[in-house]
Amino acid sequence: MTYIPLVFVILIVAVTVGLGVWATRMARTASDFYVAGRSVNVFWNASAISGEYLSAASFMGIAGLLMKNGYDVLWYPVCYAAGYLFLLLFIAGPLRRFGAYTIPDFAEGRFDSPLFRRIAVTFVLFIGFFYTMPQMKGAGVTMISILGWPYWAGVLVVGSVITFNVAMGGMKGITFVQAFQYWAKVFAIAAPVFVLMAVFGGYSQHLGRAAADPREAPKLERDAAVKIKGASAYPANILSFSPLSETTVTFPAGAAIARVSSSRAQGLARETGMPVDKVLRPAPDGLGSAQGFTVPPGATLTAVPYVVHWGSAPLMQWGQPVRGAPRLEFRDPTTVEIAAGSHAPNAPSNAQWLNPFGPLAGKWGYPLLYTYSLIVALVCGTAGLPHILVRFYTNPDGRAAKRTTMLVMLMLGAFYLFPPIWGALGRSVAPDLYAGHLTDSVVIELPKRLHNELLGQVLSGITAAGAFAAFMSTFSGLLVSMSGALAHDIYGKMLRPASSPAQRLAAFKISAVVAGAIAMGLGLLVETFDINMMVGWAFAIAAASYFPLLLMGSWWRGLTKYGAAIGMLLGGILSLAAIVTHMLLDKKMLVIQASPLVRTLLEQPAIWGVPLAILAMYVVSKLTARHVPGDVHTKMLRLHAPEEMGLSRDYIDH
Amino acid sequence: MEKPENPLHVPADRHHELAHAVMRRQAALSLRVASVFLLMLFGLPLVNYYLPDLAATPVLGFTATWLFLGVLFYPITWLLSWHFVRESDRIEAECADWRAVLGEEAGEPLEPAGVGEVKPAFIETDAVAEGEDSRP
Repeated sequence: MTYIPLVFVILIVAVTVGLGVWATRMARTASDFYVAGRSVNVFWNASAISGEYLSAASFMGIAGLLMKNGYDVLWYPVCYAAGYLFLLLFIAGPLRRFGAYTIPDFAEGRFDSPLFRRIAVTFVLFIGFFYTMPQMKGAGVTMISILGWPYWAGVLVVGSVITFNVAMGGMKGITFVQAFQYWAKVFAIAAPVFVLMAVFGGYSQHLGRAAADPREAPKLERDAAVKIKGASAYPANILSFSPLSETTVTFPAGAAIARVSSSRAQGLARETGMPVDKVLRPAPDGLGSAQGFTVPPGATLTAVPYVVHWGSAPLMQWGQPVRGAPRLEFRDPTTVEIAAGSHAPNAPSNAQWLNPFGPLAGKWGYPLLYTYSLIVALVCGTAGLPHILVRFYTNPDGRAAKRTTMLVMLMLGAFYLFPPIWGALGRSVAPDLYAGHLTDSVVIELPKRLHNELLGQVLSGITAAGAFAAFMSTFSGLLVSMSGALAHDIYGKMLRPASSPAQRLAAFKISAVVAGAIAMGLGLLVETFDINMMVGWAFAIAAASYFPLLLMGSWWRGLTKYGAAIGMLLGGILSLAAIVTHMLLDKKMLVIQASPLVRTLLEQPAIWGVPLAILAMYVVSKLTARHVPGDVHTKMLRLHAPEEMGLSRDYIDH
Repeated sequence: MEKPENPLHVPADRHHELAHAVMRRQAALSLRVASVFLLMLFGLPLVNYYLPDLAATPVLGFTATWLFLGVLFYPITWLLSWHFVRESDRIEAECADWRAVLGEEAGEPLEPAGVGEVKPAFIETDAVAEGEDSRP
């Protein structure tokens, strides 16, 4: 019955192609291709924006991340939706009204600077390609997990289907497809979860169980054979045993372990170390040596918790001594068998998971700072993603743009209620996913835990189809915005300003194929990268570059092209540098001593990156005040005055 | 999309003061809605941090803070955006007549002829706004 998910995936891909071909017949003019003829009605446009916005990270990532880290992850969906409110309040109306089609149009039109257009185009392509990589990776990984196909197959299927759709129908072609995909995704995330809640218990029931026993952690309900990754996958090669009870595991094929450390890796300075020779039974030969040790095939190993000492006295919390447990880092891939009733390795305790400032925000010891920086990154990043912004131009006017945004808020909110439910159910029902670092696949795996195998496969097929809808709709939006940047900004405005609409239409199609091919090539390269990490990069760059540009450009008359460009480059580049440094430190490719405060600020740069960009814009603009465009008041009026005043002008010919 | 014969077109020498007036109204509304929203967004971590017992109060099987962030937050953003769009449309309807905006700002008397020409646009815009707002 494992063919059932494949049937659903084929179905969603076929409908996507079919709808794309059908919509193609209505897409004729350049305006249709770039901005869907500016005639999409509010409901369909809102569905399409929502469909485009709900990416792999939203569909699979939030559920998995919430299962892994608990409460702190609720900020992700909330801020993804909230970022939209910020767009509505400060950016949506003005941007549409300005009549610019792309952010580069806005950059040039607002500051009368063709050079600025070039900088802005570079950023659109940069953020766009960064954001396509996790979509591609998601497609490839899902193909592996549900169908057993090789990684490249998923990348090529999603990539070529969408490239075909975009090249054939442009923005108008994908609008209907994305609108359909929004409803497919809502159905796929919501319908199975109601069935699962009927069987396994409701949302609040699972949370209530965690709240009732804060010191406990989930236990495996059945024996599990968990695939372990090798050192190249660090930190996904870690098996951190529960400090709540002894755990005995079997290695049917043996194991090569590079290092043993404590589950209290972020332990406090005065905490005494773990008694290495006492925490594993039988104590392996070569324990504690730099080479690590091996376990023979078929051998068992018992992990024994130890009492953490603070100086010479036991460290106490809630009247109980705090315990730690060993944490194994594997050198080579292998399999580990864990018996039913064991506490799941790698799972945080109920209290850590349910309450704020758990494993995610609390990891560097600056939970409040981490939380705030995460909020700023997600809210400002959402408001600065180019493929989202480009969609506002499909509205007939600024008023419709605002209405569309309101409806999008409704649609996104309705969707985002569900991924956390998946995470909460997954924690109780499928805790073995923690051990293999597979929480990201919870939406695919959870339905398979139903006793009724047919029902499980059907529901799993529905979520798999929803995941594919997510990869495809987000990728199509990115491809339209990148094709637009290549064809409209680079070809139409820089290389051939005199080109006819027919030539621009051809340029769009060629650009779509070129950008689609590059995106597929990049997708094939990132198999070992982390989805959330790549999404984080795109958000960090967008938050500290485009968001300040759009906010300040729409609302501050004193902004000059020098101020805007320097602020945007400074914010974007420094944020990228910080986040890359964090990644290198995390993967141990770079070894420097950095304090927990510095690590927090490197991992979540938005809290300094966004203010820095805005400050740089202000200071540089003040220094170059004579470069404020002479007609700045007319420009501002065009941004903010109602259409009736007749100040709008469009950048795309009809 | 130029409409050169439109009586509502603004002479270039009035752009400065009109931009100022229109932006001030829109910005005041945006900032008002944003402040409610930012208070929730930045206030909740403070509650979680300094009043952990309050945050963990059980409500309907959820902890209070989970219920707020995971469930109730979305309807609140819906209300805020609905309020914003309604008010923003009202401001635009008012601002569509630039003479009224500037007249009000500077205390100048309105020219009766101008008002007469503008009136139909007002009514039309309002009707559209009301019709759309009644959507569930």
